[in-house]
Amino acid sequence: MVSAGELLLLAGLVLAAAATGDPPGKPENVFCVAVQEKTTISSTFRCDWATVGRQTSDVPTKYTLNVVVIHIRNYSVSTEGTHAQVEFVDTYPHFMTLEIWVEAHNMLGKIESERITQDANSFVKTNPPSDIKVISEKYFPTSPLMNWTQPINKSYGKLKYEIRFCTSGSPNWTYVPKGDIATDIQSFRLQSLQPYTEYITQVRCQLGHWSDWSGTTMKTAEDRPTSKPDLWRTIAEVDGKNERRVQFISKDPVFANGRIITFDIKIQEQKNDNLQWDTILVNGSESSDGQRVITVLKDMLLADLRPVRLCVTANNSVGTSPMASLFISAKGREDPPVKGLKVWSAEGKLWLQWTPPNGPDLSEYVVEWVSGEQTDWQRENKNTRLTAIKGNLEGFVRYTVSVYSIYSGRIGKPASKEAYLKEGAPLEGPVVRLNDKPGRNEAELGWVEIPLHRQRGFIVNYTINYTGGGETHEVTVPGNTVSYTLKSLSSNTKYDTWINASTVRGSAQSSTHSFTTLKYAPGEVESIVVGVSLGFMFVVLMTMLLCLYKKDVIKENVWPRIPNPGESTIGNWSPDYPLKAETPKENCLSGISVQDVDVCDGKSVFEEDKACLPLKKDKYLSEEHSSGIGGSSCMSSPRQSVSDSDEGSDMADTTASTVQYSSVVASNGYKGQTPNPHPQQAVFSRSESTQPLLDSEENPDMMIQESSRQSQGFKQENPAEIHLLEMDQQQEEEGVESLGFCPLDEESEQTKPSEGQSAASSYMSQREGYRPQ
Amino acid sequence: MNGHVKSMHFQRFMETATTLLSLLLVMAFDSSRTVAASRNQQCGDYVQKSLKLSRLLQKESVDLIKTYKASQGEMSELFCKVSVNNVPDPNISGLEPSEKIASIYTHLQEFFPHFEWVYEQQTDLQLPTSPLLSDLRRFTAGSRNLAYLIKPFYQSLFPNVPLPEGGPTTLPPPQNIFQQKVYGCVVLKTFKELLSNVSRELRSLKSQVCRRRTHTNTLF
Repeated sequence: MVSAGELLLLAGLVLAAAATGDPPGKPENVFCVAVQEKTTISSTFRCDWATVGRQTSDVPTKYTLNVVVIHIRNYSVSTEGTHAQVEFVDTYPHFMTLEIWVEAHNMLGKIESERITQDANSFVKTNPPSDIKVISEKYFPTSPLMNWTQPINKSYGKLKYEIRFCTSGSPNWTYVPKGDIATDIQSFRLQSLQPYTEYITQVRCQLGHWSDWSGTTMKTAEDRPTSKPDLWRTIAEVDGKNERRVQFISKDPVFANGRIITFDIKIQEQKNDNLQWDTILVNGSESSDGQRVITVLKDMLLADLRPVRLCVTANNSVGTSPMASLFISAKGREDPPVKGLKVWSAEGKLWLQWTPPNGPDLSEYVVEWVSGEQTDWQRENKNTRLTAIKGNLEGFVRYTVSVYSIYSGRIGKPASKEAYLKEGAPLEGPVVRLNDKPGRNEAELGWVEIPLHRQRGFIVNYTINYTGGGETHEVTVPGNTVSYTLKSLSSNTKYDTWINASTVRGSAQSSTHSFTTLKYAPGEVESIVVGVSLGFMFVVLMTMLLCLYKKDVIKENVWPRIPNPGESTIGNWSPDYPLKAETPKENCLSGISVQDVDVCDGKSVFEEDKACLPLKKDKYLSEEHSSGIGGSSCMSSPRQSVSDSDEGSDMADTTASTVQYSSVVASNGYKGQTPNPHPQQAVFSRSESTQPLLDSEENPDMMIQESSRQSQGFKQENPAEIHLLEMDQQQEEEGVESLGFCPLDEESEQTKPSEGQSAASSYMSQREGYRPQ
Repeated sequence: MNGHVKSMHFQRFMETATTLLSLLLVMAFDSSRTVAASRNQQCGDYVQKSLKLSRLLQKESVDLIKTYKASQGEMSELFCKVSVNNVPDPNISGLEPSEKIASIYTHLQEFFPHFEWVYEQQTDLQLPTSPLLSDLRRFTAGSRNLAYLIKPFYQSLFPNVPLPEGGPTTLPPPQNIFQQKVYGCVVLKTFKELLSNVSRELRSLKSQVCRRRTHTNTLF
């Protein structure tokens, strides 16, 4: 039979087997503390610990905090958490020994933590020291006195202290060595602080555990400046003069140890100058961002060939700093610069690297950065090869960075580079314009560079876009270009153009500029006009020359001499040849028949007489002849004047020549009347005009013989005669053509031989010139 | 075996015995020194703690008296100047350290009933939230802790001499309010004097008892 105990044991085993869990883990890191309450220590004693091992809800672990006040009392409190507290009876057991441990137990076991046996005071955490004051004394600017009030009466125990301090804004604390701080004190004199510097000072105390820190902010007193002013200069060339504008500038000494009130300067231009010190008042403002204020000491014009030295000291309310000096060499006599200067941006800073120069007496370097009117600098040790600019640089601003070698106070030649801390796209595009009026197929584009403060980076290239005539083009030019000629443009076409200025970070587009190409190239119209004008002028000139050269002919043809009836008298003149009856033509003037006397007489014949020509052909073979009216005119310009004379406009005009103009044929043939078949002895009457006579009229015999020969010739050699006449006519035509006259028709040409026969004879005499009457 | 041989054996035996004895003595001396050192340290700790606690209690008694006076109303400055019977003697008696330590312990124990009596009286005279009451409780508890430190100190020094627990305490007869106020102030002031005497005695006992024991052990 199974006993009850065995049943219980079995049940426990079953439960244990069924439960999923582990035995309790040993509590670790038991930490106990009693805090200060007002002026005493609280009787509440709190302990925390860490659990180890798996905690499950099936097998919960219970913790018991045991606190034994040796020789007095035991305290214990249980919890399932990781902290507990006991209340000492009425008072904290100062100076008594406490033994503390934590017991963990669950269904599967029990375990204790390590036992802590310590004086009760070792668990006390007091309040931090209060009423902290730091007094900086005028004569001990680097050793301010720190006072405080201890948080608890020293009868509770001697408090240890810890003190630390740092400059405002700095994360690095400086701790006073613990061995330097005695126990149970309420003041301490700090050492080795910087004058005129703001510090945060803190103190904490310890009875058992360290208290919290408590502190205050203070500023140490001023002291005499212990470093030199940071002296530098800017130099600008003066246009048109062999001078430089030199401006001496200075920053406060690094260890100004107070507010700099004045600078004392001394300028030495000659070797043995012994000048007095001048005092420069300093602007009262102090730098707010940790950067030292720059003061302008002296602004002067310095001849290129003259050197100058400036010495400066800085003064605060306590004293004067050591002296700094700067020597500016004559132009062209500077010491050699550094080599291989490189400038680049990395990690939010502008870095510089260089190779030292070969000059002796190198003492240090000065790194200068200039942006617009602002200049700043920093000094570097002579062994420096790589550094970063420590000043506050702005992004998107172009800096001219220079490295100067300093040789015992003499400034060497700079090595400079331009750089950006950070580049961006330009804020605006360039201003586009045409450099000149557009041409027919090309246009020269120009653009104004983007202002430096709006570039925000180095312009790498310009991309010129232009669109017109339905096409778009793009051209990329280097960033240092300011103009470009667009070619192969269509004439008389409107183009829109814009330019993108690009940096490595982006680009900005300009506004669109429009222009229209010319229809004609410049000067084309003028050349055409000039050409035409020249041609016209040439023609006119040639015509004038021709007219001058042929003026006689023209004169004869255009202005035939018409005898002035008013100056003529009737005279008798009888030739020795039989007269032939002629059939008067109806259209001829009574008593006067026109006779062509020119080679081209056929052409000079009046139109109205042309119908009569066939008739006249026969008539002319007779002894009767007649002189032509307007013969001179026919001579001169029969081509033109015929038509002109047809119009009858200029017939009355006579020339100064005295060509026989007319002869009166004594005929009884009136127009339309039948001529007398029996020729009678012709008695000519002629007017005694100043007109020269025709040969035929003067030598009628010759004329008859010639005419008879010619007629025989014609009869016998008609083809030849015709050919001659044709040749004559051709000559006439050529002459006419050369003068631009209109050729005659065939009929009139065919009639020419007969007319020309007699006319040629008479013309020939006329051709021979003037025959005085 | 001849006498010469026998004497040689004896000599050898004696030498060995002497050597062993010396060794034992040295071991005994060393162990005693260790024990003495630990005892010395323990002695010093007790004295040190007792001294510190008595100084703390002295300081707290000053504050307590101030608080007491401030809580008693008018004419409180006069209360502590009145002599009262039945208040325990603050002087430490005895010539020997054991007597002095025992005197310290018994005198401390004698004041505890009077503290309780004053606390009860003030409970009737003060508001429950009066700081005097909490200060009285804390001070009384601290004083008991001092007595709890003296006891093991004595027992560590004189384990074979029982520490006297002190005689019965004689509390004053029923008093009126004025008498109660006076009584309370006199008790606190007297105890403060006791604490001063205790501190003095403990300082002298530290050099007497702890150093003497070391010296004694060294001689031994």
